[in-house]
Amino acid sequence: MSDPSTVSVDQYLPHPPTTVWRALTDSDLLGRWLMPNDFAPVVGHRFTFRTDPRPGQEFDGTVHCEVLDLDPPRLLRWAWRGGRLDTVVTWTLVAEGKGTRLFLDHAGFDPDDPVQQRTRDLLGGGWRSHVLRRLTETLTSPTP
Amino acid sequence: MSEPDVFGALANPTRRAVLRLLLDEGEQPVQRLADHFAMRRPSLSEHLRVLKDAGLVVERPAGRQRLYSLRPEPLREVADWLDPYERFWRARLTALRDVLEDLPDE
Repeated sequence: MSDPSTVSVDQYLPHPPTTVWRALTDSDLLGRWLMPNDFAPVVGHRFTFRTDPRPGQEFDGTVHCEVLDLDPPRLLRWAWRGGRLDTVVTWTLVAEGKGTRLFLDHAGFDPDDPVQQRTRDLLGGGWRSHVLRRLTETLTSPTP
Repeated sequence: MSEPDVFGALANPTRRAVLRLLLDEGEQPVQRLADHFAMRRPSLSEHLRVLKDAGLVVERPAGRQRLYSLRPEPLREVADWLDPYERFWRARLTALRDVLEDLPDE
């Protein structure tokens, strides 16, 4: 949770893991909630997501990905490279009641990136990773 | 600058310590906060005023005391700024939830 090199988000979805898995691995469905892509559910498949370029971040609008792991309907892992990023996105699906808890871990951010560094200096110590996270958690409305 | 300066308020270690105390121990009078700091009470009051101006704490009168409590809402802006990817993924997961609404469960 407090690892500055990883972004972790989770979401309860009122649908069984098989349905959530479809939305994660069907190229058209994936395009509807994430970005246009040429994804295929095959380990080793290389694909791209296309979005708007952000020149300030040296990002040309193409995310270069590769399927690293595929374990339906439990785990899906992509390499995620674009701009200055060389990262890994991991989706984990856990049945919860009648639905699914979907965990996202986006790992491999550079904690020494100048912007992040400056922010840490500003806020000091464990403030960002511990206190701020707890504070923002109190703002997140609980999911069923 | 007319907008509340949340970053400026957070840039000071004493003010961050005050927020942490309010987070850990809840609403409390200024005197109880002052017990934690080696400074004169007017100095602490000045820090509390900055936090209040930034919208990070609220005060209310209770008898002869003034009670201070945390108001974390402005920190969302800070969190968004710190973690643009967290914001990106939260927005995408909300979009995923909408897409799933249109899908039949198997």
